[in-house]
Amino acid sequence: MLTFIFRRGRKVNLSVLRVILAEMRKNYKQFFFTYYTVFWVLILPLGNGLLYYFMYLPFKKTNISFEWLGNALNMDVTGFILIGQLLYAFFMSNLVAGAIFDREREQGTFEMMLLSPANRLAILLGNTFGASIRYLWLMIGTLFFFSFSFNVGIQINDFAAVFLSLLLSFLALLAFGLSLAAFSIQSRRGGLIAIACQEPVAYVSGVVVPQNAIPQTLAQTGYLIPLAIGLIALRLSLLGGALLQDILFLLGSLLIMIVVYVVLAHFLIKFAEKNAKKKGTLALF
Amino acid sequence: MRHFLRVMKSTAKASLISQWRFFRWGGMGLRLFPPLLNLGVAWALYNNMFKGATSTDFVVATNSSDYFSFVLVGSIFYVYIVSSLFGLGRAMFWERAQGTIEALFLSPMNHVAYMLGIAAAAFITSTVDVLLLFFLGNVLGFRVQHIDAILLISGVLLMIFALFGLGLIVNAITLTFRDRVNTANTLMTVLLVFSGIVCPIAMMPGWAQIIGKTVPFTYGLDILRASLIYKSEFANVLSNIAGIMALASLYVVIGVILLERIKKNSRKKAQLTVL
Repeated sequence: MLTFIFRRGRKVNLSVLRVILAEMRKNYKQFFFTYYTVFWVLILPLGNGLLYYFMYLPFKKTNISFEWLGNALNMDVTGFILIGQLLYAFFMSNLVAGAIFDREREQGTFEMMLLSPANRLAILLGNTFGASIRYLWLMIGTLFFFSFSFNVGIQINDFAAVFLSLLLSFLALLAFGLSLAAFSIQSRRGGLIAIACQEPVAYVSGVVVPQNAIPQTLAQTGYLIPLAIGLIALRLSLLGGALLQDILFLLGSLLIMIVVYVVLAHFLIKFAEKNAKKKGTLALF
Repeated sequence: MRHFLRVMKSTAKASLISQWRFFRWGGMGLRLFPPLLNLGVAWALYNNMFKGATSTDFVVATNSSDYFSFVLVGSIFYVYIVSSLFGLGRAMFWERAQGTIEALFLSPMNHVAYMLGIAAAAFITSTVDVLLLFFLGNVLGFRVQHIDAILLISGVLLMIFALFGLGLIVNAITLTFRDRVNTANTLMTVLLVFSGIVCPIAMMPGWAQIIGKTVPFTYGLDILRASLIYKSEFANVLSNIAGIMALASLYVVIGVILLERIKKNSRKKAQLTVL
């Protein structure tokens, strides 16, 4: 886990943890107190939440029939949308943070970064962690505020189920974000791809309407994205009062996704580096 | 006048050439995905989830129970909002980024004509997107109930007039505050939520209705829908036309004043090219 470089004749420790912390710090310094953060973590989720809530107003029912793995549950629209927006906003913050290599390329510091002996995966991880922390306070605050103000109908029967749903959803989304970021190194349009992904991902993952209401081919594609599985697990444990054993299959799927996407990210970064050395065009626009 | 029109025409031509010569699928996706998501959600809710069971309030507010067509018209208009905010609203920001803004301000042309040219190009490109959406909407079940051509054309023109005013204001903000996306993104979210694109204004909570009534597009959308989907009373159409004309004129006046202020400030502070 430890890498060393020599600086002025001294050995300098560049452990993975230090790289992660440094990247987190950089992310915090660059983005925390900016309008950019306010937009992504406050205005957009709130605006989208209102928009999708308004989309349900023209219909007779205020309940959503939510189906998963052959089971069905009736859920209040507000809670359904609130959970959807909160997890989606977290996904978006990861996705946007994942375009870090694109930004480095724009700033002309990409080659420097690759010349340093810092672990590439740690750089990405630090960045996405930074984005997550920027966002987490909002997620917790909003959840409490809306739960008490709008009578969202939180029904928790098993705190372990809620905690594990949250934790594994976050980690799986983090791993997915890493893969997307690693994928975007191969292209010169990382930021563009990240932003263009928003709506298709939201649709197939059941952020706004449950998967049982969209065409099944699209819904099945959505199950490859941790957002879809995480949303089902969270909605069931937070709004449906599901117990741990009820959502074990979903949690297991999230766990598998974490492993698969981290390994994928690792290989994609290696592939990009190999190509960069071969072609020498990585820093070019 | 001839000079004004020539500036407008040549700016529109140059802008169109650069838009289509460097065509990017990603860029098109950025423009089309948000309205497509709205359409996809509306389609799933209306056809699959609630099986066409819209509430009585909705039928009363729109004289129709067809929610999908209601959202389609709104989404089409949304394409024009995006092009106004991100195309026209950042026209001078990109001139600065490309290092050509000083030349732009040094040239003896009329800058309102220049902005009109940019707007014309942006709206022409958007019309291509709108046609695509119309085609897709028809496949998914959009049905024009009746066409009131005069109302449709006047509605579209009034909307474009209002969007031009909004674009001028956003252009001033992005240029002055060196802001690339935040202003445009925020305004886009506000307009999408409160203009009645996905839900009739009358069905929204009171506070949301107040915000909606200060936005000219709320009136414009009602005119467009009255020309395509549902029949509206003459008095209602007239009040909508008066509402959009008053607010759009206000936006354009504010926009032109801000444009003049930018020119004045650029001479005074000499910071126009500083990023």
